[in-house]
Amino acid sequence: MDSFSLLMQGLSAAMDPMILLYALIGVTLGTAVGVLPGIGPALTVALLLPVTYGLDPAGSLIMFAGIYYGGMYGGSTTSILLNTPGESASIVTAIEGNQMARQGRGGPALATAAIGSFVAGLIATLLLAFLAPQVVKLALTLGPREYFALMVLAFVTVSATFGDSALRGLTSLFIGLALACVGIDGLTGAARLTYGVPQLMDGIETTTLAVALFAIGEALAVAAMLTPPDGMHKITGSVRMTATDWRRSWKAWLRGTFIGFPIGSMPAGGADVASFLSYAAERKLTRHPEEFGKGAIEGVAGPEAANNAAAAGTLVPLLTLGLPTTATAAIMLAGFQQFGLQPGPLLFVMNAELVWTLIASLLIANLMLVVLNLPLIGLWIKLLSIPRPWLYGGILLFATLGTIGVNPSPVELGMLILFGLMGYGMRLYGYPIAPVVVGLILGPMAEQQLRRALSIAQGDWTTLVATPVSATLLGISAVFLIVPMLMRLRGRGRVLSQVAGDAD
Amino acid sequence: MSQGISPERRPPNRSRGAAFIIAAGLAGIAALILVDAAGLKQDGGYAGVGPGDVPRIIAYGLLVLSVLTVVSGLKGDLPRPPRQAPAPVFWILGGLLGQVAFLHVVGFVISGALLFGMTARGFGQRPLWKAVAVGIGLALVIYGVFDQLLQLNLPAGPLERLIFGG
Amino acid sequence: MKHAILGVAFAAALAVPAFAQDYTIMAPANPGGGWDGTARAMQEVLQAEGIAPSVEVVNVPGAGGTVGLAQFVADSAGDPTKLIVGGYVMVGAILTNASPVTLKDVTPIARLTGDTQAIVVPAASEIQTLGDLVEKLKADPGAVSWAGGSAGGTDHITVGLLAKAAGVDPTKINYIAFSGGGEAMAAILGNQVTAGVSSVGEFQEQVKAGTMRLLAVSSAERLPGIDAPTIKEAGFDVVLENWRMVAAAPGLTPEQVAKISADMEKLNGSAGWTKMLTDKGWTNTYLAGDAFATQLDADIAATETVLRDIGLVK
Repeated sequence: MDSFSLLMQGLSAAMDPMILLYALIGVTLGTAVGVLPGIGPALTVALLLPVTYGLDPAGSLIMFAGIYYGGMYGGSTTSILLNTPGESASIVTAIEGNQMARQGRGGPALATAAIGSFVAGLIATLLLAFLAPQVVKLALTLGPREYFALMVLAFVTVSATFGDSALRGLTSLFIGLALACVGIDGLTGAARLTYGVPQLMDGIETTTLAVALFAIGEALAVAAMLTPPDGMHKITGSVRMTATDWRRSWKAWLRGTFIGFPIGSMPAGGADVASFLSYAAERKLTRHPEEFGKGAIEGVAGPEAANNAAAAGTLVPLLTLGLPTTATAAIMLAGFQQFGLQPGPLLFVMNAELVWTLIASLLIANLMLVVLNLPLIGLWIKLLSIPRPWLYGGILLFATLGTIGVNPSPVELGMLILFGLMGYGMRLYGYPIAPVVVGLILGPMAEQQLRRALSIAQGDWTTLVATPVSATLLGISAVFLIVPMLMRLRGRGRVLSQVAGDAD
Repeated sequence: MSQGISPERRPPNRSRGAAFIIAAGLAGIAALILVDAAGLKQDGGYAGVGPGDVPRIIAYGLLVLSVLTVVSGLKGDLPRPPRQAPAPVFWILGGLLGQVAFLHVVGFVISGALLFGMTARGFGQRPLWKAVAVGIGLALVIYGVFDQLLQLNLPAGPLERLIFGG
Repeated sequence: MKHAILGVAFAAALAVPAFAQDYTIMAPANPGGGWDGTARAMQEVLQAEGIAPSVEVVNVPGAGGTVGLAQFVADSAGDPTKLIVGGYVMVGAILTNASPVTLKDVTPIARLTGDTQAIVVPAASEIQTLGDLVEKLKADPGAVSWAGGSAGGTDHITVGLLAKAAGVDPTKINYIAFSGGGEAMAAILGNQVTAGVSSVGEFQEQVKAGTMRLLAVSSAERLPGIDAPTIKEAGFDVVLENWRMVAAAPGLTPEQVAKISADMEKLNGSAGWTKMLTDKGWTNTYLAGDAFATQLDADIAATETVLRDIGLVK
């Protein structure tokens, strides 16, 4: 039987009303838990996995798919409305999304995120179904040097998240890079900047840093305002997307999908890297550069599509090779094993029926997600009309819940407070927040891939440009880095003073 | 990024102090990294890049940024924040610190309710006891859902044991 | 006689509720990992088989299990209801992290399961046997890159032991540590490295599909159903098992230890546990009492030596 008829068979099996009910329950639970700051998709799936025990394989798989996509999607809601990303892949969503919410355009922001996630999920799941074996072959040709080149590209383009001052943006990024040094060095096992504190050995948890900088920092900053801006979140206009919103979103959704899927399929890629690159791409390609940083809808549409496409991409190595490349994937693997499903190169051959049921489940869960979330947008927006004391009290309670649930040590909670204060201070002096988290995520990836590549080549630096892929990626990075400099040089002839002087 | 507070530009001399403090902080972090890197194994193995080398580069970057921050402060380019109300900040910090201190003594619900109540108080909600009471209700629901239903282990205190047993 | 057996069985049935105690099992790792899986499998079987009425799992992640171990020792001393799951990786982590708390500070109860290590090369590699690989290693240690898990972990130790047995300076091995199993496997499949080391289970599906060649396994005897020699057979004296164990709190009375040991014995003998191990693909390597204590001491000593040899412990 060919792939298409197998998929149709899977879909028709999934059209059973009970199965649809399971999908609905899965999506609802996944979104509800995923919405909470500090509880990312990995923890959501881990927490909800036992809910799927005891169902028949089809019902269980579909609920599972619902939880997975629901958990991925949930993080964007709080990012947009409360400037509190629940996980690393929705950090850039907060940049433009929260600005939109502040202008009363939270409705369209949530809508473009939901529809973008749906479009990306749909295309990426179909790509997974029909191209997985080919995609994975390509992904396997990439090694440490290509990943290093990709990280360099991410670093160079990520300057798009720097806000209006190069100096302050770079400072934020370097603070993130410095924090990334804390912990055991992955390649030699040497303990760096841990000062004998065992809790620091594994480094600074990304979610702890993100929740502290965004949620706690934001709460402190808003509380400390002498004159709280009235009606900051008042809804103006429709909660629906306008024709212009649609026109500006659809290309961003597609670009996000085609950035997210391949990067998610790479064994060392990831949804966060995909969302950074998508944001950078939107910023470079937009016809409205003046709106970026002030609520450009493309900046929500692209990254949200990218992180969902990457989530589907993660399933490529998992289903075709049995390689769990993210924490979420590792937990899903445990979920598969309850049906005696052993992901590996032979999975598609040995368990074709279950695999196609899973893929059909993903498609249905994806549809459920958009069906559930579009009507809910009106409700989510109402969240903002909760009186501020109750709203922020709740945010802080949930923000600490994630940390307490995973690791209730005083060291971890202390870091939460410390970084919260740092986030407050950074807001006071106009330092952007996102680059800190970007530095913490990308820094160790870049360092480890570089050292792996050099170690394999026994210290020969030319290895970094020895393959067409790595050479091209590094070449593009160099162009991105040098061209703007040249243009500034020719334009005003005072690059250095500009960097130092923070001329906008 | 979060432009919750829109920084205004003021005469240069006002932002100098802050710029110097930030610059000193950056230089301080750089110094910590350099000292730590000096204590690591310097052998880079086959890569030629050892565990201390990348941190060192980051430290040098921080030093450069520290100098540039001083320059920018002297030119008065650092935005001066609007006046801040300190009391709410202390209420919230008090709530957070209280949670760290009492979490394992009184359990998730009471310490969480205190955090909720003090945060609400910081945002102007009075009286405190009412806010804490609302917090207890909310924290109980959270505890019930996450600890009892989803088996996420949240620290239990007397209240949790009384209501949920064991 | 028959009555006597019935009588004993009846008495035992009556005795169980009276003696059964609740347990809290600490998994010193994040949810989803091997130790967490072991703890949750124990939880399920202990409850289902009625060995313990209520079992709770607590995760305390960090630093190869040493964060959890330190907390366990500090908080649970003298409490017979507290258990901790651990394993061979912890032995190495305690040494490399210079952890102040060691396995001497807890009461080891039993080894539960074990994984055998395997050495593989990509299918496209010209290396056919472990002998070929070692020849290459001897000629130029740097030219043989090894992909495996974290630095100082079981995979790294395996390579170090092999190098030593082959007469190659263990500090000269070109070991590339990858953060997750998936990434290391991708590097091997993608022909980025010369060879790879991990547990047999991780590689099994790949070997079956013909994308990797299994050169040798680290067990003492050949494994049933797996077509590869042991490292020992190939001429290098290396036997290594990545085991998982359960330990109890320090400061217990001999009666309390006996009670816990009896419960673990019951767990091991139960049909539910056997089924659980089969489902998860784990090998039962149950070993308790003095035999386990002796084995543990020997493992700790051997690991310390090899970590010194690799240069990870001073």
